[in-house]
Amino acid sequence: MESSELERFEAVVLPHLDAAYTLARYLTRNDHDAQDVVQDASLRALRYFHGFRGAGSAEGRAWLLAIVRNTAYTWQRRRRADTLTTEFDEERHSESVADRHPEATVEARSQRAALRRAIDELGPEFREVIVLRELEGLSYKEISDVAGVPVGTVMSRLARARRRLEEALCADPEDC
Amino acid sequence: MTHPAVEAQLDAYLDGELAAPDAAELEQHLRACPECSRLERRRRALSTALRDELPRFPAPDTLRAGVRAGARAEAGRRARRRAPSWGTLAVAASLALVAFGSRQLALRGAAGEAITNQVLASHVRSLMPGHLTDVLSSDQHTVKPWFNGKLDFSPPVYDFAGAGFPLVGGRLEYVDGRPVAALAYSRRQHVISVFVWPAAQGRTAGPRATTRQGYHLLHWATPAYAYWVASDLGLAELGDFVALLQRGDSAAAAAFR
Repeated sequence: MESSELERFEAVVLPHLDAAYTLARYLTRNDHDAQDVVQDASLRALRYFHGFRGAGSAEGRAWLLAIVRNTAYTWQRRRRADTLTTEFDEERHSESVADRHPEATVEARSQRAALRRAIDELGPEFREVIVLRELEGLSYKEISDVAGVPVGTVMSRLARARRRLEEALCADPEDC
Repeated sequence: MTHPAVEAQLDAYLDGELAAPDAAELEQHLRACPECSRLERRRRALSTALRDELPRFPAPDTLRAGVRAGARAEAGRRARRRAPSWGTLAVAASLALVAFGSRQLALRGAAGEAITNQVLASHVRSLMPGHLTDVLSSDQHTVKPWFNGKLDFSPPVYDFAGAGFPLVGGRLEYVDGRPVAALAYSRRQHVISVFVWPAAQGRTAGPRATTRQGYHLLHWATPAYAYWVASDLGLAELGDFVALLQRGDSAAAAAFR
């Protein structure tokens, strides 16, 4: 690798490390794994860098985020195979927070706590579209590139994720 | 327009992803239908809450430094695969010196070369996730006692947070055939490793600098300790840091006089 290519790599990747770490942090739900994922993803990015033809900053971001996302999924798969624990249980998580923990309704008065909890309880495929759209402001096309699914799927996942978040935030459905 | 049709398009509309004619039709319906416009208001409020309340996570400085170090190490590996490296040439040169009979000089040089490589490898490895510290603390009174029972000496530990070089923690390393103390300091996104062990000959030597794979390595010796410092920080700032360390040591020595 020429030193000029190393400089180009740093110019493309380093400005988006915060976005990369935020996505990894939401996907892994802990600091240590998120750091490992981003570190690993950056080495993969370097390996594939000769194939990256993008020019703009937005393209660099989507490209890096796609690698971070795939790295995080590989990590989670490996971890699940190791521990045989179920990270996400559709049946369990589809109940509202208030149903399972009556005491949680008190805590849910703090909207921030309730939102964070609701996000953590979403399946990863819903969590990632929320993070990419609401926190990073990516377009549907960019999200479809990062997540490797069609634009129509991005749209329906976003709609479903938001509906679930609304339900989770609303302890009494009559009020909402 | 039916309610299910509105629900299906509402998110795309709010995200600015709906084609203009469809958006116009949807707006017309929202004006006429209180139930759907309530849905729209709820969804807008949710997006605002998410953007305002959900934390963003800035990449930690150690991660930033680790990514840069990883990229440089990988770039260095690839460059070495392509061409005979200066390292190979240096070994060849020291072998040539042995052949010329300057045995003493060449051996000392080769030993120094081995230590330089070990220090560099330890530093680069420490930048990989989870390897930076065994004891993570910016408190010198936590880090220093941590080495008790792990080393046969108690290394000097200072915190230079006031001067912009906060202590990050300490770890054990193995250099030159013995366990040594390694201390990690940070400067913005850069990490500085300091390696310390008791000096063999008790002779002082001024700081000498060398650069490998984009990292600066500095070595000096006090009557008590051999010091090595490794970092990708610029040489000027690294010089400031070394001066702080040396001042710390001579202040400690003066306290005993």
